[in-house]
Amino acid sequence: MIEAQALSKRYGAKTAVDAVSFTVHPGKVTGFLGPNGAGKSTTMRMIVGLDNPSGGRVTVNGKPYAQHRAPLREVGALLDAKAVHTKRSAYNHLRAMAATHGIPDSRVRDVIELTGLGPVAKKRVGGFSLGMGQRLGIAAALLGDPHTVILDEPVNGLDPEGVQWVRHLAKGLASEGRTVFLSSHLMSEMALTADHLIVIGRGRIIADAPIQSIIDGQGRARVRVRADRPQDLLGSLAGEGVSSQILEPELIEITGVDARRIAEVALRERVLVYELTPLQVSLEDAYMQLTQTEVEYQSHDLPNVQDAAEQVPAPVEGR
Amino acid sequence: MATPTSQVPAAQRPRRQRESGPGVNFGRVLKSEWIKVTTIPSTVILIATTVIVMVGIAALLAWQTTFLFDAQSNPEMAAQMQGAPDAAEISRDIPGSGLIFGQLLMASLAVVLIASEWGTGMIRSTMVAVPNRTSALLAKQLIMAVISFLVGAGSALISYFIAQPILGSADLGFSLDADGALLHIINTGSVLALVSVFAMSVGTLIRNTAGGVVTSIGVLLVLPILVAIFGGSTEWVADAARFLPSSGGEQMVATTIQDGDFNQWQGALILGGWSLLLLAVSLVVTKKRDV
Repeated sequence: MIEAQALSKRYGAKTAVDAVSFTVHPGKVTGFLGPNGAGKSTTMRMIVGLDNPSGGRVTVNGKPYAQHRAPLREVGALLDAKAVHTKRSAYNHLRAMAATHGIPDSRVRDVIELTGLGPVAKKRVGGFSLGMGQRLGIAAALLGDPHTVILDEPVNGLDPEGVQWVRHLAKGLASEGRTVFLSSHLMSEMALTADHLIVIGRGRIIADAPIQSIIDGQGRARVRVRADRPQDLLGSLAGEGVSSQILEPELIEITGVDARRIAEVALRERVLVYELTPLQVSLEDAYMQLTQTEVEYQSHDLPNVQDAAEQVPAPVEGR
Repeated sequence: MATPTSQVPAAQRPRRQRESGPGVNFGRVLKSEWIKVTTIPSTVILIATTVIVMVGIAALLAWQTTFLFDAQSNPEMAAQMQGAPDAAEISRDIPGSGLIFGQLLMASLAVVLIASEWGTGMIRSTMVAVPNRTSALLAKQLIMAVISFLVGAGSALISYFIAQPILGSADLGFSLDADGALLHIINTGSVLALVSVFAMSVGTLIRNTAGGVVTSIGVLLVLPILVAIFGGSTEWVADAARFLPSSGGEQMVATTIQDGDFNQWQGALILGGWSLLLLAVSLVVTKKRDV
């Protein structure tokens, strides 16, 4: 159980985390989702006491992290891969971590086995790939067999087999009644792993809900329409609380009413409709809608790329 | 790199129990820091280098001193060498004669051990495991201070035994219970221990290996040279210079105390005072700063 109350972190004039409050419950995988720079890592560092909050407080299993007698047995955290001395071997790193809590060598060998580090355990960490570094970080997080597991971007740099393994691991830990809190900026990963989502953007919580309700809540009907007189069609629909987007002279996207209603209005107004496609909202879209105003570093299409894209027929949408 | 991953079913994993195992205490942190210090190659390399360099310098100086003795025994040459230090006096300083180089190397090691944790990100692992932070830093300081003491005193003792046969050929030999001989050997270790605390505290504050090494070597070894060059004519500079950490260290290993100079214990107070002051500052700052 992780509880944050009005947790804030400011660096000078910049507010990285802005009075966030949330609770991460045991027994399920909670995803912490947000664009780069949204404050995910800062929040996680505050949970384990590496950064001091500028305001508010956060507790893990009822106490601030630093007040636990055996913190590694309460909370296991992968904060960033390679929080490890590059000249030391993976085995010695884990042994040094374990020694602080009197964790026996047998447990060190267990987590090495569990994370598949066996063949490289005696090699220096400096030569590890990003994926092996992640596995070592996860091994360190599991050392104390903790009740709460915090993983910051755990699938970064992992191969597909590793990604699947992390997914199984997270679900397995949650099914044992542990609190599992993992961050990602990848929506698709969260859709597969998490039961509950906390979405953060520019340091604020945008959504905190079961994953299904986030999909449903944002999933207002959206329909793509090709018609000869789209303006007339929109004019007739104006009273029904719709929003629309004109993509091409004869191509529009209408949000707020379903396809049947559009067809009825078009028939009545004698507007020729030659495409009527209901668009299903994916979690990805829901996420984009939630965070589009909250993105810290927005990317823009390169001008020539945009030109090229316009010449290509629009890809078929609708999943 | 694809690696086979064992997917141990949940039931086979060690079962979890509430507040099951032991927690953090200073003894365990000490053991952890010991593992960390001894599993970095630079530790062993720097310690071995320090011992070899310190003993080598002592042996060379002993050999050179026999020539000085020969020269001073010759009345004609002795007349030309008026004012030169007495060979018998020099020979007493031989065991700790490599101390400057010892300081250079052990101060560097002390800085490397702590600053590299920041450089590599290891510090985050350390402070997640030991969230009160102070005990992790104190354990590392203690281990490094003990290692430095043993390296210093050990090198001085080895130097003593290697130097004796060389000095004996010129009738300059002296026994361990000679006045101040043993204290000189022990304090060669004490100076290195205090210097390592000083340097590790600087490394903790600066959090950067290169910056930490330059700063601590600068204060310990370069500052006294600058003072000697520019401060010789100004009385207050010369007075203040007696309170530099390096001056304290020099008095600690002095085998003859000039009139008006600090004795060995006063020297220890000066160097120890600086080291403890920096240690205290580094602990307070580390406790407060984000990692």
